[in-house]
Amino acid sequence: MTHPFLSIRNVSKTFGSVRAVTDLSLDIAENEFFALLGASGSGKTTLLRMLAGFEDLTDGDILLEGSSIAELTPNRRPLNLMFQSYALFPHMTVTQNIAYGLEMDRLPKAETAARVSEILDVIQLGHLAKRKPDQLSGGQRQRVALARALVKRPKVLLLDEPLGALDKKLRSEMQLELKRLQHEFGITFIVVTHDQEEALVMADRIAIMKDGALLQVGTPHEIYENPGTRFAADFIGVMNFLPVSRTADGFAARDGSQMMSRGNAAPAGTPFVAAVRPERLRVGGTGDNSLTGEITALAYHGLDLLVHISTAIADAPVIARMTADEADGNAPVVGRQVTASWSAKDTHIFPE
Amino acid sequence: MSADRRPLLLMTPAMIWLFGLMVVPCALILVLAFFRRGLYGGIEYTWTLENLALVFDPLYFQIFLKSAGIAGLSAAIACVLGYAAAYAIAAMPRRHQPMLLFFAVLPFWSNYLVRTYAWIVLLNREGLIVNLARWVGYEGELPQMLYSEQAVVIGLVYNYLPFVILSCYAPLSRLNPEVNEASRDLGASAWTTFRRVTLPMTVPGIATGFVFVFVLSIGNFVTPALLGGGQFQMIGNLVYAQFLTANDWPFGAALSMVLIAVMLGLLMGQAVMADRASGGKGARDG
Ligand SMILES: Nc1ncnc2c1ncn2[C@@H]1O[C@H](COP(=O)(O)OP(=O)(O)O)[C@@H](O)[C@H]1O
Ligand SMILES: [Mg+2]
Repeated sequence: MTHPFLSIRNVSKTFGSVRAVTDLSLDIAENEFFALLGASGSGKTTLLRMLAGFEDLTDGDILLEGSSIAELTPNRRPLNLMFQSYALFPHMTVTQNIAYGLEMDRLPKAETAARVSEILDVIQLGHLAKRKPDQLSGGQRQRVALARALVKRPKVLLLDEPLGALDKKLRSEMQLELKRLQHEFGITFIVVTHDQEEALVMADRIAIMKDGALLQVGTPHEIYENPGTRFAADFIGVMNFLPVSRTADGFAARDGSQMMSRGNAAPAGTPFVAAVRPERLRVGGTGDNSLTGEITALAYHGLDLLVHISTAIADAPVIARMTADEADGNAPVVGRQVTASWSAKDTHIFPE
Repeated sequence: MSADRRPLLLMTPAMIWLFGLMVVPCALILVLAFFRRGLYGGIEYTWTLENLALVFDPLYFQIFLKSAGIAGLSAAIACVLGYAAAYAIAAMPRRHQPMLLFFAVLPFWSNYLVRTYAWIVLLNREGLIVNLARWVGYEGELPQMLYSEQAVVIGLVYNYLPFVILSCYAPLSRLNPEVNEASRDLGASAWTTFRRVTLPMTVPGIATGFVFVFVLSIGNFVTPALLGGGQFQMIGNLVYAQFLTANDWPFGAALSMVLIAVMLGLLMGQAVMADRASGGKGARDG
């Protein structure tokens, strides 16, 4: 078999005059944990709803294992969606909610009961099986919604901002939990999120969505270390941007000093920015590029220390990350002048 | 004054009004049920349970059952029609819904008698419906429509339908569409989704509508008098007759007492059910 597991081909969706998704193509492999990452309104939910069958395609096609599912009603698609609102049945208990999908598959009663109790163990909610959704906490509801979709063992599980309503600590626990479940059940996951950190932690591959189109698709490492556009560079993680101008043999910073870069091919005539991540800056060290400035603020994060440096070659303070070890040996002080340097290989050039 | 006393204060005028002008006069009438009827229609103030016993005499109790049957049938038909209408309105784009509701409830604002007379115009032997049948070429015998049990049911359903539309629209419009979608996503057909998700979640609205139509119908005397044409009596007509023609106030009071007990029982049952459906406080722990 040569065809991709799930293939989204030139899909578009317009609501009246609003173009929610525009000519989007994407292939997803079996057992992949795929994250759709984008700001609010970028069309993530619309794409998921088209996959689940709740929105007609204005254009394009969706193929699962080589055959089109675009014309199937939602109940006939071997995909399940976990709704952003969870959409639990309020008049049913936890058990009834989870059993519902299996009853629709006309599974024998005994098998339904066995699978429900098995998944209740997995999500550790066996003791709340007889509760109704309004008697559960947000985190418990989230797990019921997940179990209800997962228990059907769909070919693809679609999750719309599954962790969006949880607090930070629970969210990072559930990120790992989702990854574990995906591995254990061997199901393809497509997770929508607007949280770039979440996408980096969970996904095998990430697609960055903007205005209904894909900006870049790649592994977390590729997306983080080699962003394709200035938008992607800005959206993922923290990035310092330094205005540069084109010279005969490369690029120069505002103060005229040479800016060595990894040699991104850049079209002539447009203004450019150089981009470098905080963890690539070495405070006090030497390298291909460097800057000097005054420390304006220190942000302590436990694991690391972010040093804000006000410099003549950028408008916003440049942020350098020091590990706890580095900071111990050479504690930075607000108000002091420092030099920070970095390598050419860590310097990206983008059109402004 | 503490803030939690304020609601009580605000309720007081209405409570005085209700109590003074409704409960007290009603109680004064109802207490008559326990006295004997005087020789010439007056009241003889000696205690008795005879009047209440008479209500359960087969002759009269049969009228009770008949009234309950007609009220139940009217309520059931009104619920089917009203739920369908409410469902259709709730499925329309949000911005059109207030207007549609307004039209659905519009007849309600006209006089009850006028609306009932309008049915006489429609149903009588030379009425609109008969003429329409003749006009389309139907020559055969037409059943007597006016002055029948069916006419009474039609009149009651028509008059109280807006209640059901409103009581069913409320829960239908509050449904989260994603809950229906979740059912479809999990493999249910549209019909199964309706049966297992939409309907159970909106049953309280249907129950409210049913109880209201039933309670308003079982005691109704205008519609049976006008559209039933004296062919049969409903309990309301019997009460009416005791007070205004037969001059047997104690028996009228006894009939009313049983009727009110039935109504109150139903309304309270409905209130308990509505409270439970909305996750009343008592249902939380457990
Ligand atoms: N049912 C709809 N009718 C009209 N516009 C819609 C509808 N659903 C989504 N949109 C529009 O499509 C765009 C993408 O929305 P959505 O897919 O919900 O984005 P996201 O999930 O990334 O926040 C938005 O501009 C939104 O307003
Ligand atoms: Mg969304």
